[in-house]
Amino acid sequence: MSDYLKGNFDVKNPVKDVGNVKDDKTSREKLEEKFEKAALTSIGGSMVYVRKTKLTWDGDESNE
Amino acid sequence: MKAMSETFSSLVEKIPDIGRDWHHEHIISNANATLRYIEKSIRDIDISNGCESALVISAGPSLHRNNVIERIVDSGYQGVVIAIDGSLGACLKKGLIPDYVLTLDPHPTRIVRWFGDHDFDAHTINDNYFLRQDLDVAFRENSKRINDEQIEIVNRYGNQLKLIVSSTSPLNVVDRAIEAGMDLYWWNPLVDDPSDSSSLTRALYKINNLPCFNTGGTVGTAAWVFAESILKARNIGVTGMDLGYPATTPLNETQTWYELHEFVKSEDELGKLFQHFTFPLTGELYYTDPTYYWYRQNFFDLLEQSSGKTYNCTEGGILFGDGIECVELETFLSMSGHGKSTVN
Repeated sequence: MSDYLKGNFDVKNPVKDVGNVKDDKTSREKLEEKFEKAALTSIGGSMVYVRKTKLTWDGDESNE
Repeated sequence: MKAMSETFSSLVEKIPDIGRDWHHEHIISNANATLRYIEKSIRDIDISNGCESALVISAGPSLHRNNVIERIVDSGYQGVVIAIDGSLGACLKKGLIPDYVLTLDPHPTRIVRWFGDHDFDAHTINDNYFLRQDLDVAFRENSKRINDEQIEIVNRYGNQLKLIVSSTSPLNVVDRAIEAGMDLYWWNPLVDDPSDSSSLTRALYKINNLPCFNTGGTVGTAAWVFAESILKARNIGVTGMDLGYPATTPLNETQTWYELHEFVKSEDELGKLFQHFTFPLTGELYYTDPTYYWYRQNFFDLLEQSSGKTYNCTEGGILFGDGIECVELETFLSMSGHGKSTVN
């Protein structure tokens, strides 16, 4: 954009390009979520397991 | 086993909740998606001939280090061979065609690699899982060439393979199995107590009416439960089931190393997230991370309900204790029976 729009005056304080703050925060949050998700996928194993559950189950009639 | 640090045991305790939170949505959505593919279930496996001996080939680092597959082939083993998705490629490359292959994990992009992934590029962007996994070391290269070879070999032998496929598997795995010509036998993972009306297992059963069996949280243990409770094998060997790493393995080459950083405040604490063992047959030292330790704990939990005899032929690792006999692979192979189960 700075290639096309140029000011014809000097400002007192230097202006820093801080980008779109809202978008940066969103992308950072997204990245954190992604890392957290990646952590959970590996740490949590391949499937849910609850201790002291039976080996098999095939519906109420045959098992209960 | 050395005394466990509080950091280690507290993370092990958290794993069931971590897994439940992460897997819940995939379990139900995948079961709904796979419903239309279901033609046969594990009920269709004929066990009338009995099963004297079954060998579960898991895919820990010892599988390659100890030339396990070559030794099985050389032995002329006559029992039932059950591979898991992660050991399938290694078996086929060595000329061992398993009687059954088991797959369980609902992960949307990783598991299909074991069958050869047509979307390799898209699925490997920003995911270095295969660089650190120890199921098939060839996959650490993470190259398109290895993936293409996997597609080719699975296609070549697919019509000779019976896939014991979980209803929670992702559709890309199901599509690949069908494309390769595999014979699919469906089941549900038993993930909680079905007598509870809000049970997830019960919800799965309502969707597809498939028989359920326990998994211990991982495909290798699920394969053992399949041998024990579905095939009703009287003698079960497990190999490649290290559930840990030789002491010489650098910590940063372990499967959950980077993910474990999320659970500690500083790099110094990471060492506390590993537990050390001495394997009784050899006196060799091993260590494990919280997830593998959790698998070990679950295995022994399920083993208490077993009616058959289980032998650990891994020749290393951390799976030893009451109820499981550690033997050399040839010792188990030499006592194999001839009662293969057949499928209608």
